[in-house]
Amino acid sequence: MTELLVKNACVIDPLNRISMEIMDLPIRDGRIVESVSSVADVIDAQGCLTLPGGIDSHSHVCGTKVNFGRYMSPEDMRAGRTARRGKMHVTSGYYVPTTFGNSYRYSTMGYTTVLEGAMAPLEARHTHEEFTATPHQDMMANTLFDGNWAIMEAVQKHDVRKAAAIVAWTLSAVKGYSIKLTNPGGTEAWGWGEDVSSVHEQVPNFNVTPAEIITTMIQANELLHLPHSVHLHCNNLGKPGNFQTTLETFDLVPDSNNGRQTLYATHVQFHAYGGTTWQNINSKAEEISRSVNAKPQIVMDMGQIMFGRTMTMTADGPMEFNLYRLHHNKWSNHDVELETGSGIIPVLYSKKSLVNCVMWAIGLELALLTKNPYQCLLATDNPNGAPFVKYPEIIGLLMSKRYRDEECATLHSGTGQRTVISSIDREMDWNEIAIMTRAGQAKALGIITQGKGHLGLGAEADVAIYPIRCRDVDPSTEYRKVTEGFQKTMYTIKRGRVIARNGEVIVEGANSTFWVNPSVPEEINVADDPEFVKKFKEYYTVRMSNYPVQDVYLPRGKCIRTEAMR
Amino acid sequence: MIIKDVVCPFCGCLCDDLEVEVDGQRVIRVQNGCALAESTFTGSNRLPAPIRRNAMGWEEISYDDAISDAADILLSADRPLLYGWSSTHGETQSCGVHIAELIGGVIDNTSTVCHGPSILAIQEVGHPGCTLGQVKNRADVIVYWGCNPAEAHPRHMSRYTTFATGFFVPEARHGRTVIVVDTRRTESAEIADEFIRIERGGDYEVLSALRAIVQGKSSIIPSEVAGVSREQLIRVSEICKKAKFGAIFFGLGLTMSAGKYKNVRNAIELTDELNRHTKFTISPLRGHSNVYGSNEVFTWITGYPYAVDFARGIAFYNPGETTAVDILQRGECDAALIVASDPGAHFPHSAAAHLAKIPTILIDPHQTATTPLCRLQIPCTMTGIDAEGTAYRMDGVPIRYKKIIESSYPDDAYLLRRIHDRIREVQGA
Amino acid sequence: MHQDGGDAVRVILETKNRSKPFLPIEAESIIPRNFLKGTDLTVYEGNKERDLSELFWIFVEGTAVSPDKVEVVLKGDTARIKRVGEYMDTGAIRIVGNIGMHCGNFMSGGLIEIGGNADAWLGREMLDGSIICHGNAGHYCASGYRGEKHGMKGGRVEVMGNAGDFCAEYLTGGEVYIHGNCGDMAGVEMKGGHLIIGGDATRPCGNMKDGTCTIFGTVRRMLPTFKKIGMQLLPEPQITMEVYTGDIANRGKGTLMVKPFGSA
Repeated sequence: MTELLVKNACVIDPLNRISMEIMDLPIRDGRIVESVSSVADVIDAQGCLTLPGGIDSHSHVCGTKVNFGRYMSPEDMRAGRTARRGKMHVTSGYYVPTTFGNSYRYSTMGYTTVLEGAMAPLEARHTHEEFTATPHQDMMANTLFDGNWAIMEAVQKHDVRKAAAIVAWTLSAVKGYSIKLTNPGGTEAWGWGEDVSSVHEQVPNFNVTPAEIITTMIQANELLHLPHSVHLHCNNLGKPGNFQTTLETFDLVPDSNNGRQTLYATHVQFHAYGGTTWQNINSKAEEISRSVNAKPQIVMDMGQIMFGRTMTMTADGPMEFNLYRLHHNKWSNHDVELETGSGIIPVLYSKKSLVNCVMWAIGLELALLTKNPYQCLLATDNPNGAPFVKYPEIIGLLMSKRYRDEECATLHSGTGQRTVISSIDREMDWNEIAIMTRAGQAKALGIITQGKGHLGLGAEADVAIYPIRCRDVDPSTEYRKVTEGFQKTMYTIKRGRVIARNGEVIVEGANSTFWVNPSVPEEINVADDPEFVKKFKEYYTVRMSNYPVQDVYLPRGKCIRTEAMR
Repeated sequence: MIIKDVVCPFCGCLCDDLEVEVDGQRVIRVQNGCALAESTFTGSNRLPAPIRRNAMGWEEISYDDAISDAADILLSADRPLLYGWSSTHGETQSCGVHIAELIGGVIDNTSTVCHGPSILAIQEVGHPGCTLGQVKNRADVIVYWGCNPAEAHPRHMSRYTTFATGFFVPEARHGRTVIVVDTRRTESAEIADEFIRIERGGDYEVLSALRAIVQGKSSIIPSEVAGVSREQLIRVSEICKKAKFGAIFFGLGLTMSAGKYKNVRNAIELTDELNRHTKFTISPLRGHSNVYGSNEVFTWITGYPYAVDFARGIAFYNPGETTAVDILQRGECDAALIVASDPGAHFPHSAAAHLAKIPTILIDPHQTATTPLCRLQIPCTMTGIDAEGTAYRMDGVPIRYKKIIESSYPDDAYLLRRIHDRIREVQGA
Repeated sequence: MHQDGGDAVRVILETKNRSKPFLPIEAESIIPRNFLKGTDLTVYEGNKERDLSELFWIFVEGTAVSPDKVEVVLKGDTARIKRVGEYMDTGAIRIVGNIGMHCGNFMSGGLIEIGGNADAWLGREMLDGSIICHGNAGHYCASGYRGEKHGMKGGRVEVMGNAGDFCAEYLTGGEVYIHGNCGDMAGVEMKGGHLIIGGDATRPCGNMKDGTCTIFGTVRRMLPTFKKIGMQLLPEPQITMEVYTGDIANRGKGTLMVKPFGSA
């Protein structure tokens, strides 16, 4: 029985409506409890900002394409390297850190739970191996279904139950957490070097449209009672004028769940462009946020870009190839049979580029124009928009109009005409930031019941204590203190153990992986469906019996079971 | 007892549809595998116990003594080299990296004598690739460049390419055009629709010429490049541009001929150029069953796929400097740990000879050409036979090796963990 | 030490005998600037940190207050000493004999002079300054690092002997002058700067994007994707060269000048 008492914490816990209260947090055996004994270890938070551990709801940190990003970038590996120190292993990589690099840097920032943005089912084993090597964050995997042949066949037949059965079998086989759709239909078209250009365009050879894939999967998701909603990377990412596609997509979404959103739209900045070409591209953040403000069934994350070099990596193969055509940087591509695709290419976001300046503004506009902070979460689609170590700067920008104005003054002179950022006065407050970086994610991902995202009784004791005295800091003017403060916790506690102190990780980790095992009625279990089994055998290049991820890959797996509605 | 869907631990094809009949601790028969698989599973001659050199020759010692000796040798070195890793599974590879980090040594894997140049090329220009099922289901043009799958990857063509029935290529062979490029007419060339014979060392020039031709600039190309006529180059370029989906596979003919990684880079850039016209992918034909696994494991832990030097407390990577063959040829290292590979057989003599001059530990189930060079050999399980674990196929797909027989040998992962813990213990003291 | 500051200081480092002379030494601390504060520096031998005095006899002549007046001389068995002059920005380093890998990497000023041969990666990613090697240079002379888009950006590397393979790979700016022959693929991936080769070269300038390469010896295996566009008379020496543009395979617009076959 291990006890810890955090004293004098200035707690902000939006899910329990606690806002800047000085209180104690008694912790026993990894959970928040009513009280602890006098022999408990004591940490004095000295009145500093104390939040539930940070949750990243969309980050590319583990798996085939991430490792590809590392492998092909020795110049990035050497740029971000750190030496062995105490309990900390050697790390490498600035935009695409090694797994220990990611884990230590997240811990330093107070993050204790991460959703891996994309995992191809066929390569899930790789993702899980890297999860274990990211030892200080609890992990879960968005599982890709956007180009899945069996799914598209079910969609074509308007068979939602079949789609649900396929999702159920796949998620439990590969120990995934949620349904991810990246450029639905487009990744299959990319198998031939093509793409889809609207949600109503037919996917070549499969007779389905992206809209049909999305709506069928939303229904399947709800039928299976999955904790998270469908997680969508819309079609037409990055193209001028794509805001139309985004709005059309949002209009497809019913309100089917009382506890959370019905669609999580990810990195929406990349999907909020007006204009018709790179020359006249402008921000449509107002239109997008207006749509989201009217639709409680949608939650989005910002997909904020920050200036500097970074690495783009997504399952959106055609998008990555377009970037290659534009910039001629080294380009990697990896299409996964019967399932999905991926592409990787380094980019440079520059203040000299008007387009990049517009992109930078849009991410902030989305957050500031969305009324309910639970509906627009803080993320950069790490590392696509920027490496996650830049989150503190984004917090500073959201909380301070002055900071934004100072930054805007250094941008391309044409930015003002294409964006509305300089006209927005709103400054997020501490509570809203706490929602955008933990409470909102916990709700969106459906992990509040797992004890994440809050500090109430029974919650998992994932705690981040930042060297910021909220009552003494005016974030509007003292944004540097805000930015610096969020970069490095005084303490990061995970399940009641102090993991990091002032930037140093002091113990070895023992994280858990959350996954979902949805059960469906026996009669629709695809493992017994001769057609499914036959096609698997004919078209995949691995045997169906070798496909599922064995238990040994999740040494501390946390399985969430759900029952599908008949 | 017959075990189905067994994964073959021999080559990078990682076929997972073998049926193996076992009887107690013996493999009796292998079905569906190629000839190389057969010998892998049914071979014997495993070293019964750990052996250590003494004045008279060899003595058998206990596993405990062997582990302790190994740890001592590594601890007292100023520049230890840890090499091999390709025939074992992920956990072992991971442990090896952690040991190298602890002792400030250099860790390298068999990419160094095989597809290291491919990795270097990918690091310059990226890798437009795909999983093998994409090729099987879509590819109507297959190119084998500088490799002979008929001999070295016997089931590659039947499982994944030429003869495989795919969703979009139901006519298999009849729906495909096969191009083979090599310096001599190999067995693989015999089944090709188009065979390009290149002068030895001329791949780079031919690839440059093809890139220009695909761009539409054939007029600048001389009438013959490295023994290949311009006419044939134009014809092949047209076949590729008209493909619905082309897949290039390449091997040591590109990686080991003059220019090495520049040859591979040029082939990747040709693929990029073709992608402006149609869909094209390129992939290396990895030799060892799990060499790609060692690349993946090394990368997610250290940032680099092979040749990693921890001497300065950081991960440093520079093939040509931190690669095993170069280090051995310079006589730079003063101790070595060889796991799951046979440098005695595959390294240039000048490199292998150095292993005999320093204290070398070998962890391998069999007596090999490396055994005479080492001071201490510790036999262990054979991954895929009496040990299970993760392997990465040549296209990056991870598959778990099965354990199909029981044996009394310890898993090499277990051995390395114990060596690691012993080193930690001594360092902590 | 004189209080009023000296004119120049020379630090002589002579190698001591080592029990394991084949272990490489990493000596990135040996740059002129570091010796202003004295000679209390460390280097690495394999994975062990060593004081400079453990591996070298050290002699100091004179004093200086500014780093540009510091000259470091290396004598003895120096062929395995790596990273000498790394990030050097001023002053001078003279190596009497041979020098190990990575000499003068990231250099941005000052002078390195090598009496013997230089091992691989001489002057890698150099920004400015000057390197002169009287002997031969190994592979990757004046090149870039794996994965980076740019290599040497400025400064001057001159090799009186021959250079190995991939000389001036990724050359982006500055000048590289090899008096002797180059190995395979000199100037590959170059995109700026000047590469001059007094002797022979094989398959030069593959994938060239920009910059100029001038070869006075024999070019073996000229790449098929360079297009001859004319002749040019060079002022010094007075030779009429054939001028090629390329590498067309890479949509390049570099200039490759070679001596016509058969001319003196």
